[in-house]
Amino acid sequence: MFVSPARPEQQEKPILTNGIKIFVLLFFCLPFAILLLQSFSAGWQWPRLLPGTFSWRAWQSLSREPRMIPAISITLLIGLAVSLINLILGIPAGKGLAHYRFRGKSLVEAVFLLPLLIPTLAVVMGIHIFMIRVGLTNTVWGVILVHVIPTLPYTIRIFRHAFENLGSKWEEQAATLGASQLTIYRTVWLPLLIPSIHSALMLSFVISLSQYALTAIIGGGNVVTLAMVYFPYFQSSNRSVLACFTVIFALLPLSFYLLMYSLYKLFIRGPGHYRGC
Amino acid sequence: MRSLGLNNHKPYLLVLPALIFFSLFVLYGIGTVFAESLNLSLNTGSSIVKYYIELAEKPGFWSGLILSLQVSAAATLLSIIIGVYLARQFYRRVPDSIWHALAWLPMLIPHFAAGYLAVLLLSQSGWFSGLLAQVTLIQETSRFPVLVNDKNGLGIIVTYLWKEIPFVLLMSMPVYRRMDWRYEDVVRTLGGGQWQVFKTVEWPALLPVLVETGIILFAFIFSAFELPYLLGVTYPKMISVMAYQWFYEGSWSNRPLAMALMTVSTVMVLIVAVVLLGLIQGKRYRMMRGR
Repeated sequence: MFVSPARPEQQEKPILTNGIKIFVLLFFCLPFAILLLQSFSAGWQWPRLLPGTFSWRAWQSLSREPRMIPAISITLLIGLAVSLINLILGIPAGKGLAHYRFRGKSLVEAVFLLPLLIPTLAVVMGIHIFMIRVGLTNTVWGVILVHVIPTLPYTIRIFRHAFENLGSKWEEQAATLGASQLTIYRTVWLPLLIPSIHSALMLSFVISLSQYALTAIIGGGNVVTLAMVYFPYFQSSNRSVLACFTVIFALLPLSFYLLMYSLYKLFIRGPGHYRGC
Repeated sequence: MRSLGLNNHKPYLLVLPALIFFSLFVLYGIGTVFAESLNLSLNTGSSIVKYYIELAEKPGFWSGLILSLQVSAAATLLSIIIGVYLARQFYRRVPDSIWHALAWLPMLIPHFAAGYLAVLLLSQSGWFSGLLAQVTLIQETSRFPVLVNDKNGLGIIVTYLWKEIPFVLLMSMPVYRRMDWRYEDVVRTLGGGQWQVFKTVEWPALLPVLVETGIILFAFIFSAFELPYLLGVTYPKMISVMAYQWFYEGSWSNRPLAMALMTVSTVMVLIVAVVLLGLIQGKRYRMMRGR
């Protein structure tokens, strides 16, 4: 792989540069601003561009929803479990694909790509009867397992790229110095992989958070994640309450990120400043 | 890259857990869907493809299928075009990572939550309609076009754009970062302009990634349930919503129809994927050797 020595020189075109920045602000950021305003508004009359009065009323009425706290807890629990299973299955698979050539590799690659092509809705419909038979429907474990289906292909991709970029020299060096497999994983790969672990955890968590149909089919209404509470609200509830609910959906990945960050600060000691390169 | 002898089983051990998981769930799942979509009760005169015939005669099937195709094709193509343009401009003009981070914000929230943003901003009594009224372009909410819960899926397309452009950025920015810009100097020395640079330097490097991104996006949008359910209309219904409702309703009598519909959509996605991959095969091979 060739790394370019320098970014191409640009003729100054400040209008275009500012245009791009304005587009980013209007298209990607403005909706979040309107959402926040809406969540704190008490009556926002059309066609005003800002709410007339601000209040906590919508937040208070959402906090009176009894399913809220249990739903957030179960959603976090499922998201956490899904992300961890992703790491356990995804890191070795990514390494196997990145560092080895073996017979049947392209077949394995195809199978790993399939879940991105085959509709997960179809997969879940297909395994429904099987899940009933083994007693996994209506359980948190069943929901966790089906959430791994749409997330794992991305995780494998992330780690495959990471291991390809890191190469196998680090591992060989550690092995030459007499480190065991476990020590190599803990002291060489783990610190080097932290940026990728971050991406994989976040991606798995957000995808798990976004599942409604899969959770409804396998959870059967018994596993009440936040999405299960949100959908009925979408049609019936008032705008400000739904805005608060939507803000929570944006806050959960952020808090998950902070939680994971503090967890690995606690558990992973040693040189933490390596950057993969 | 190590090339190992046949007696080495290490790579197999590494990929095996994920392989077992996918075989158990995905391969078994799709196999069952296909099996259940066939009419295997051997009654006199009933065809093995009975449910497919029923499906083709269902009111709303064809219009739903066309709507699904339109929405997924439009959302995929537009996200890729806008996403690549943005990646290009980001790389050349806006290198500060704070702007990249802002553009990635939509990846943080679920699709259905993004659907609510579409309602807030684009519905007839939404923020944009208010903005148009402030500049006296419209006088009442009913003059604003129906963009959310509309028959053509416009609200769904715009919401997918908002969610997927960041994904295209995520996939194409690395390509820009490792591009060999000496080629650009060559093109410029030979008198080529912006378009020539894009066509001869950037496009060949982007193409494999874009095809892959496009397949992932098309497959996802074509079969996702959440957004079409919230932002769609009762008729025509996108096929994922149709299948979900047939599958989930109390009586199981429509389940074979749902299975047939899911088989049809799987086959369509696979056809699109194979055609697109086939298109780039030769090129990709040339590129890989060139590296």
